[in-house]
Amino acid sequence: MWKLCIKNFVRTSVAQVGISAVLLAGIISLLIGRQHLVKQQEAVKQTTIAQNEHIKRNKEFFSSELGLLFYYLKFSLVNELDPINGLSIGQRDVNPSIQSVTIRNLENQRYDTDLYNPVVLHAGNLDLSFVLLYLFPLLIIASCYSVWSADQEAGTWNMTRVQARKPAVLLWKSLVIRMGFVFSVFFVLIGLAFVLLPLSINYRFLLFVGTGIAYLLFWFGLCAFIISFNKNSSTNAILLLGCWILLAIILPAGVNNYLTNRYPVPEALSTMVEQREAYHEKWDMEKTPTLKAFYKVYPDYEKYGYPQESFSWLWYYAMQHMGDEESKAHTESFMSKLAKREAVARSISLFIPTLHTQHQFNTLAKAGLENHLLFLKETANFHESVRKKVYPLIFENKQVEEVDWQALEVRTVEQNNQPDWLPVFLPFLVFILGLFGVSWKRMHSMA
Amino acid sequence: MIRRSVCWMLAKHSFFSAVSNRPVQLLMGLILLLLLYANISSYTQYCQQITTRNYYRELVRNHWEEMPDKHPHRMAHYGYIAFRSIDPLSLFDRGIDTYAGNAIFLEAHKQNTVNFSEAGLSTGLLRFGEITQSMVLQLLVPLLLFFIGFGAIAADRENGTLKMLFSQGTSWKELLLGKCLGLWLLAMVFLLVGMFLLVGTSLSIPELEMNTDWWIRSIGLLLLYSVYFWIIAAIATWVSAISKSARLALVSLIGIWLLMGIILPRAIQSGASWVFPAPSKIHFDSMVEQELIKKGDSHDPNDPYYKALKDSVLRAHNVSSIEELPFNYSGFQMKEGERISTELYNQQMAVLQDIYKKQNNLSRLAGWVNPFLPIRLCSMSFSGTDFSSYTRFQTEAENYRYRLAQQMNDWQIQYISNKKPAPGEKGPAISRDFWKAFPAFTYPSTNWKQGLQEAGYSLLMLIAWFLFSVWLLIFRSQKLNAL
Repeated sequence: MWKLCIKNFVRTSVAQVGISAVLLAGIISLLIGRQHLVKQQEAVKQTTIAQNEHIKRNKEFFSSELGLLFYYLKFSLVNELDPINGLSIGQRDVNPSIQSVTIRNLENQRYDTDLYNPVVLHAGNLDLSFVLLYLFPLLIIASCYSVWSADQEAGTWNMTRVQARKPAVLLWKSLVIRMGFVFSVFFVLIGLAFVLLPLSINYRFLLFVGTGIAYLLFWFGLCAFIISFNKNSSTNAILLLGCWILLAIILPAGVNNYLTNRYPVPEALSTMVEQREAYHEKWDMEKTPTLKAFYKVYPDYEKYGYPQESFSWLWYYAMQHMGDEESKAHTESFMSKLAKREAVARSISLFIPTLHTQHQFNTLAKAGLENHLLFLKETANFHESVRKKVYPLIFENKQVEEVDWQALEVRTVEQNNQPDWLPVFLPFLVFILGLFGVSWKRMHSMA
Repeated sequence: MIRRSVCWMLAKHSFFSAVSNRPVQLLMGLILLLLLYANISSYTQYCQQITTRNYYRELVRNHWEEMPDKHPHRMAHYGYIAFRSIDPLSLFDRGIDTYAGNAIFLEAHKQNTVNFSEAGLSTGLLRFGEITQSMVLQLLVPLLLFFIGFGAIAADRENGTLKMLFSQGTSWKELLLGKCLGLWLLAMVFLLVGMFLLVGTSLSIPELEMNTDWWIRSIGLLLLYSVYFWIIAAIATWVSAISKSARLALVSLIGIWLLMGIILPRAIQSGASWVFPAPSKIHFDSMVEQELIKKGDSHDPNDPYYKALKDSVLRAHNVSSIEELPFNYSGFQMKEGERISTELYNQQMAVLQDIYKKQNNLSRLAGWVNPFLPIRLCSMSFSGTDFSSYTRFQTEAENYRYRLAQQMNDWQIQYISNKKPAPGEKGPAISRDFWKAFPAFTYPSTNWKQGLQEAGYSLLMLIAWFLFSVWLLIFRSQKLNAL
């Protein structure tokens, strides 16, 4: 019986065309993911080289004055790249993975973007997450929509029915065979991913694979549910496709529109304007209040006193830093607005499997808004750590030889918190059990 | 010979039979609701953005004019913030607006990136797309036409009505044109409702100016989409006519929609950036830096280029030191440095933009095989939300930055002494009246001529598809089978 069912399925054009199309798209997506990873890794490599050269050259010109030297020097921070990012590019093409900052005011530098072609971003990436989210469900729909109805339309169902002891089991067998094929395609692609990308089996990767499996099971559940209504093939096809359009296109886009409207971020612009004003106005003010405010933030430096000559690096960097300090309220409200967007998106996604899956993929690939916010925060910490290393040297007029350059090398931010598996799988579990449970009951009572 | 009355009757019949169908009514209602939602959402976003942007644009200008007396080079570093303007028609088609940066800090010596794109501030959800009028019209209305149109001919053939129609003297041409017209009329309902909503929404935003240009571009969009819907209706009719069964027609049409509407546009653009890889920022910056070092490093006190420049200036004025020159030398040197660095930057930028254009052209080319593509590009161009509208802002902002930096250098050359102030003496400065004399950053919005020019090639493809579809329906119909 199994053999016959398998043969039946393999002979259909859906199986042959659909599976090869998805496989092809999957392979292309892996190559695109690999190109993305290579480009990012190249950039990281180049960052270290560029920074060292940049420091070396500027040291030749400005070695007599550390304040001036550090005015020019840029220090880079890299947002660690997880190989899973090759499977799900997420927002890593919009947001930069490398940030280079001078010790001047931070707010003017930390939102600098990478260079990109907006048309490419607009079209979206053909990465594995796209293949999984959009194409796999279509393959599942195409192979399952007529599982029951085709036999009925061909008039063979009644014959099959009398021969089987439990006709419903036959339907489940057909579904299980289709699952077997679809999951084989999935695992072939995951296997290929291992060949093409520098992946390793770890908790995050297993979670990624698990999320993929759960998502595919959800679609099988939905198919079983629709089949169990025992409608004709066309109706099934239209209903399932309607679900797909709703889940993959209309709902996500609608939710995104809602988030953008509900949480606008004018703070982005106010931060930009405010920090610039706060810094530049200091040029036309008395020096003492600026220094006093600066020492309030960093009491350790008060020992450098209140120089009154027309220009000193101490006063200059104090002015720069006060630009950041005085725009802090705007920055904080900016960041919390973005965090709010992310939190609300996460809550809504619990109820919409496509959104939930994409959110998980992006989180595991360290390519979501959450990761970007962490990188922005770490950029601020990095900036402060560099400043604290360099300030005393500048304020004490040290020589270039006294700088510990090793401490100022390119650094990498790592996001090491392991996402909990329960919240990942719980929403799926509810959907899958619910859909399969209801369809099981219906099919057994009707078949 | 095509009888108009027969076509018209067939069109009316297929239109009304579709509209009276319950599931179709449901789907039409859903699409109308989405159009409404798209408008409300665009309205909210447009109002928020325009208010914020106008506020900060004005604030930046006021701050600039209120700056006290300063050294011009301080002003060059104080710089300016340029905000990208939003096209009124982004209410209709947001195009790449979401992915384009919104504000750029313009200062001397340095070309900053345009920051704060909506995409950079978004959750990954954005990548599923946005609901806009253009998205509903480009993707969902065609899907509805396919759902309704798959049976246009195939169902009639299956239940035998086709033979009856032919026996009454209807010709294939009349049948196909009539059915296609019926579908097209249905699509036009959405287009007209959409345009009506657009006009209403635009009227309700006081900041939005509906000038002649706005009307020309809107009517242009109306025409473009009318042609597009004809092409879609023709595809539905044709596929229905050539398919053996209605079910097969439905499967083929849905396949076409998925492939052409969803998968190919993404795949081709992804492929294009694979074929023409663009450099990362780090790479780009170090290329500019290296070019600059080759030419001469103004930071290096012993740089041969600037040493030679200084010597020649001193010689020309017949003096032996900078202090004796009749103008400010450091301003002069900065002016030269700015000129060179901007030139080199612009050269590299042109190379980069060229790569982007190659990527875009490759995917544009796909419009010859994908009827869903040309309308996207035409629609964006007419709405002022395409790639060229964005690069125009970038170029205008960079030109403004250059003018600002050089103006400050000129004032420094002219009004600032070469002598360093004595300790305790106040630094040199020029009057704040100068700041007002330097105009604010503005740039003209996209006009219909630019829209038409940018759409150009895609418009051609759209027309080619239109002609092809008419040819298909009229001249290829003899080969069809009534049974």
